[in-house]
Amino acid sequence: MTDTERTEHTDDNDRNDTERKDTGREPAADLPSWLPKQRQPWWHWRRLTRGRWRPALAAAVAGALLGGTGVAWQTGAGPFADSRACWGALDTDDVAELFHGHTDIDASDTPITSDRIGSDGSTGTCVLKSPRGAQVTIRAHQLDPRFGGAADQWADEFLSARMTPMGGGLLGMASDTRAWLAVPDGCFGRPPRNDGPQVIDIDTGWTDYEDRVDTAERDLLARTAVRLINHRMADLGCKGTLADPGDRMPDPPRFQAEKPGAICGIEGLSLPKGRHDVYEHEPPLMTRGGGPVRTCDRDVLFDHPSLRLMTVEDPRLSVLYQRLSLENGERITTPGDRDGYGFIGPDFGLFQAKCQTGEVTFLVRADDGRHPDDIRKLLPRYAAAEADRIGCGPLRIKLPA
Amino acid sequence: MKGFPRTRRGLAVAGALTVLLAAAGVGTWATDTWPFEAKDRYCWGAWEEDSGPEFLGDEAFAGGEGSRTATETALGPRRTTGRCTVAIHTTDDDDYDGSRASEDTRVVVDYGPAPRGAARRMEWINDYLGGRAVPLPDGLPGATDGGHGLLVLPKRCDTRDGRPTAVTLDATATSYSGDRSYPGTAGLGGSRSAAELMVSIANRAMEKTGCAPAKPLSITSPVINLPEDRETYFERACRIRGMEFDQESARDLAYQVGTVGRNLQSCSVSTTGRDEARIFDALMVSEPRLSVLFDGTTGTKAAAHGWRGTGVFADGYKVVRADCAGRPMTLLMLSPSQRENTPYFTAFTNAVTGRVGCAPVAPGGSDR
Repeated sequence: MTDTERTEHTDDNDRNDTERKDTGREPAADLPSWLPKQRQPWWHWRRLTRGRWRPALAAAVAGALLGGTGVAWQTGAGPFADSRACWGALDTDDVAELFHGHTDIDASDTPITSDRIGSDGSTGTCVLKSPRGAQVTIRAHQLDPRFGGAADQWADEFLSARMTPMGGGLLGMASDTRAWLAVPDGCFGRPPRNDGPQVIDIDTGWTDYEDRVDTAERDLLARTAVRLINHRMADLGCKGTLADPGDRMPDPPRFQAEKPGAICGIEGLSLPKGRHDVYEHEPPLMTRGGGPVRTCDRDVLFDHPSLRLMTVEDPRLSVLYQRLSLENGERITTPGDRDGYGFIGPDFGLFQAKCQTGEVTFLVRADDGRHPDDIRKLLPRYAAAEADRIGCGPLRIKLPA
Repeated sequence: MKGFPRTRRGLAVAGALTVLLAAAGVGTWATDTWPFEAKDRYCWGAWEEDSGPEFLGDEAFAGGEGSRTATETALGPRRTTGRCTVAIHTTDDDDYDGSRASEDTRVVVDYGPAPRGAARRMEWINDYLGGRAVPLPDGLPGATDGGHGLLVLPKRCDTRDGRPTAVTLDATATSYSGDRSYPGTAGLGGSRSAAELMVSIANRAMEKTGCAPAKPLSITSPVINLPEDRETYFERACRIRGMEFDQESARDLAYQVGTVGRNLQSCSVSTTGRDEARIFDALMVSEPRLSVLFDGTTGTKAAAHGWRGTGVFADGYKVVRADCAGRPMTLLMLSPSQRENTPYFTAFTNAVTGRVGCAPVAPGGSDR
């Protein structure tokens, strides 16, 4: 509106300069010398800007300006161009919040597009960079459970024990360095049986295995993930907005001392005789709260757990391990495959159980294959204990000899 | 241009008026208000034409000519039950083989209490909460599968005999081509849209019957979880131990896992034929307001030996109610009366209490 008003005033001033007294006739003598000294045709701007056509023209100009402003506002062009980052999901304040209040953040994104030939779902990336070196990478992608997909690597980072489930039934987790959240099923359906979910994840680049997870930072990343998903849903024409999960998220995990014979706090879970049960470097770190995943990272050294025990409860994430459970190592079977199936190798063992809630993955993974007996001793007990906890028991796994 | 204002002030006023009119015009056009469109309203004024879902918009008539009609019974402080029906009939004469094609869609809304009779009420509850139904967003007490749904209203809307009042939504669509008919889609716009449709009915009806809460019901969240697909070729229905079928009998069967949550869980087994005949429908309800729907039907003593809580094993249905970790839990099994399904009901009940983590309700359940 202000634009229009300003322009109108300018018009008025011009007019007042050129014609002090409005006589309603053609004052040809007042015309500048460079103009042809003859009566202009009716459509000439000078004729149009005076006399009885003037109010009509003024109104038309005002209307056009108003319309133009409206269009600019609607399409976010001109003075209304927004500086929203990451596909328009984050405004300047949202971005500043991610960089401790700094507003000199450079944002660049590739639009979220889908590959029409492949079945990769839609992907897009947004990178936020501060001149001081900090960087936040936000990706929209479909988790890829296929051979050669990066599902396992993704799970490594985004399902680590430092993450806390967002709760409220959401398929999402957050820590102070990472967060991820899936597009709700209601938007374009539950992911097909063998596909991973569409997620947006946030990666601040830091890999951190410090004891303390900064709750404020974690809540900020969780809130940002929700913002991004809400915006994505609106883009897809889906109604509804998710609320900030911060209030209901449980406390972040802390390193917790173990009792002997209770690895990761699970009674009766121990390493083979001769292997000392106590951790060598750090006590284990365990996910808190009921959620899509429970992870216990044990004996973390140089940002890497030497042992990880993991229960992937949500079948939409369990699918990330489906191929692994079918292809690698020695098969673990159950009669008629009724209870599930899995595999075991020197450094990795997993079992996918058929539970009421869907396929649940129980996983034990060591940093290296130096102690294959650890995996063999832990997996059956771990799976049985966790199956009981989530109401999928009794589960008895017999390992191949 | 006689009569056009000639003074400066007159011109200014005329200009301002023009601008105002233009702005108002753009505004009314953008918001689809008068005089650009006059909208019809249906079902006690709760739904508006073109307000979102397909069946309320022009898409309902896609491919042909059609009409949308609505009928409703009056609601008021003394008339606390009512029904509204929106019917859409479309015809398309240009069918490629020359025969007439048409489609009939009916969306029926009922406002009132659950059926009084126990057997009918069990069917009614299972119809809305079982199958592929998911809980309504934002914790509203109810469920929908996008084609039909149920929303239980606040306590102040209960009937005098203590039964809760509910809004139910039922959509059916049939396509006719020549002398054949096929099931069609009603175009409610999915589970969330169905939930919104029920909420707007609830708010309007509660206003009319005088039991509206201070703050109207509303939905902000999306639907987060949808149920998995129906499964054929199985041995263990709904992956629940003790619900096994031998290969011979399972060949023509399918199971559907519905919601599996703290408040609601369902598992149904039916034949794979076109009629999808019921083998059994198992349902668990633990949401407090939804639990009230079962009031007065669960008896006063244990259903059978070894069962906790109270219950009734009747012809065609079995219902049991017991406390589960401080909340009432109701378990229901519906099946044709000639089938002996107690073992399946026992297995379902034990699976639910095992998962939720409360004391066993059925015999043989294990405590954790």
